[in-house]
Amino acid sequence: MTTILSARDLRKEFVTARPIFGAPTVVRAVDGVSLDIEQGETFAIVGESGCGKSTLARLLLRLIKPSGGEVWYDGEDLAHVDEGRMRSLRRDLQFIFQDPFSSLNPQMSVGALIEEPLRVHGMGTQEERRARVAELLTRVGLTPAHADRYPHEFSGGQRQRIGIARALASGPTVLIGDEPVSALDVSIQAQVVNLLEDLKDEFGLTLVVIAHDLAVIRHMADRVAVMYLGEIVECAPANTLYQQPRHPYTETLLAAIPVASYGARRARTVVEGDPPNPISPPPGCRFHTRCPYATDLCRSDRPTLTKLADGRQVACHHAETLTLKGLTSVEPARSAGAAARFALYAKGIAAATTAEPNNNPKSNV
Amino acid sequence: MATSSSPLLDVQGLSIRLGKLDQNIVDDVSFTLEAGQTLCLVGESGCGKSLTALALMGLLQSPPLAIAGGTARFGGADLLSMAKEPLRDIRGGRMAMIFQEPMTSLNPGLRIGEQIAESVRRHKGANRAEGRARALEMLRRVRIPAPERRLDEFPHQLSGGMRQRAMIAIALANDPELLIADEPTTALDVTIQAQILELMRELQAETGAAMIMITHDLGVVAEMADQVAVMYGGRIVEAGTVDRIFTDPQHPYTIGLMSSMPSLGDRRDRLVTVPGVVPQPGSMPPGCRFASRCPFHSPLCETVPPLRTCGEGHKVACVHAPLEQLNPVDLQETGT
Repeated sequence: MTTILSARDLRKEFVTARPIFGAPTVVRAVDGVSLDIEQGETFAIVGESGCGKSTLARLLLRLIKPSGGEVWYDGEDLAHVDEGRMRSLRRDLQFIFQDPFSSLNPQMSVGALIEEPLRVHGMGTQEERRARVAELLTRVGLTPAHADRYPHEFSGGQRQRIGIARALASGPTVLIGDEPVSALDVSIQAQVVNLLEDLKDEFGLTLVVIAHDLAVIRHMADRVAVMYLGEIVECAPANTLYQQPRHPYTETLLAAIPVASYGARRARTVVEGDPPNPISPPPGCRFHTRCPYATDLCRSDRPTLTKLADGRQVACHHAETLTLKGLTSVEPARSAGAAARFALYAKGIAAATTAEPNNNPKSNV
Repeated sequence: MATSSSPLLDVQGLSIRLGKLDQNIVDDVSFTLEAGQTLCLVGESGCGKSLTALALMGLLQSPPLAIAGGTARFGGADLLSMAKEPLRDIRGGRMAMIFQEPMTSLNPGLRIGEQIAESVRRHKGANRAEGRARALEMLRRVRIPAPERRLDEFPHQLSGGMRQRAMIAIALANDPELLIADEPTTALDVTIQAQILELMRELQAETGAAMIMITHDLGVVAEMADQVAVMYGGRIVEAGTVDRIFTDPQHPYTIGLMSSMPSLGDRRDRLVTVPGVVPQPGSMPPGCRFASRCPFHSPLCETVPPLRTCGEGHKVACVHAPLEQLNPVDLQETGT
């Protein structure tokens, strides 16, 4: 495994108010984040609203400029290269937005939208670019004829496919998706998740996914970083993180997931209160105001992200001593008849998708 | 569900028309709800779950929407044919609603306390002092910290979770018998969602109110529902008790929806999906509306399948149920 993208002590401050007298109000949206993303993995960043996960994603591709720290890609510090160099690096580093409708220019045809990155990077002749657009459209489960239509003519799921085709056009190595499926209905979400995974395998992409849906993350990610108030509190392989969290906040997040299985209604520990205001985060460990295990040490000293014996990174003073609850097996209890029905359904879908090439991106490669 | 006394709410054949479309956008929806029970209406965008709730509250935007038929008996009166003024007496009083986005449904220019007191004065004839006392009591009951201070704050001063608590306080202020909650936790973070669901369960146990909860999240359904109705294309395709729906789902759409959800257990291969997209309103298949996306469809699906009993407290609208007894040869001849 080689590291493809890494952040060192990455920071972003936003000034939210500049009074005439006194100091400006500053939010530390990302406050000293360091991480290493391995080539070919799916790396997920999870957390609740306001934790800084979207800001972090944008910093990693320098869609916004960091206030401090470094982002290393292929021997270059993205935080400090000049604009021209950054533009050519964007060929390798692409972004998928949550709401494709607000990120696709409504006045451009779908073909023009997908072709734009190719034109910008001076790739191919006009003929070649047109062929590439057709190929990309087919690849994401649309048809070449869709190139002449406009974004508003498409459903949410189809628009996200267009956004993905556009991101793929320049042949990137790293794809960062900010909540790429959270605006979609469950059945459509599953289609797009499958598409992203197929594309990742096919093109050897490294995928960074920002999300708040822990089930989607569980399905997609190899490794997960959990963020709280601008910092990473735990970073570990997905399996171990879900089975045995080491940070109390991770435990809280996992316990809060409503499980879609009868009888799963658990006597759970519901964490009290709201997340603190990021403008004035509490001293010490930022989670101590909501943490059931907090001690005096937590209220005064801020823990740093530390590597444990098993290689996992946790920012908690008590990580070595606490035994936290993860998600144990949540296999849905189903009748024998229902189990047979699910198997039949899966078989039926597999048969139908082979018959209709449009629903099965793999048959179009 | 069968009891000797009549149910609190009895909806029969509710149909809603959109403009001049010849297909109803909500079509022949029937269900009953007993006091103290929770019914979850579940389905994806455009399945008609919110329209059903709005129709019951008399809040359909008309035109272009209009009731095309059906009755909804609530305590002896039909909500669908009721005149505006008596309906106003019921709405916010015996029947209340919680919306998805509290920021857009709370009045941004009114203090929280006043928004609660307003409804108590309107429905209970309380005076200013009584209204304010009730507002304070309600804020306490929904466990808003420092309720005395919050009473005089405006919605924008509250966090998303606190705003949703305030909404619940308004809805419950007049001890409604029926609460309709439309995606009450969808806009909230997962830890806040857990708090609100817990609160709603506790308050329901305290007050004995019946609840219709509209959601797209099967996890929320499993945690909250006594009864479940799965909707697709404006119709109920499967209905039953929560244990039946999760342990013995029958309709191909219910099965597809459950298959589409990523599992929280060990990672599996590709997700099994529901292929294609929901057809536009008005261009649904003529018989079973799910037929165009169903791997089991056959010529039998060209007539509207009745919602028929398929077990105790369980109904399904699929001619092929139970699917495991379907002859695979039939499928090959008639299928895709």
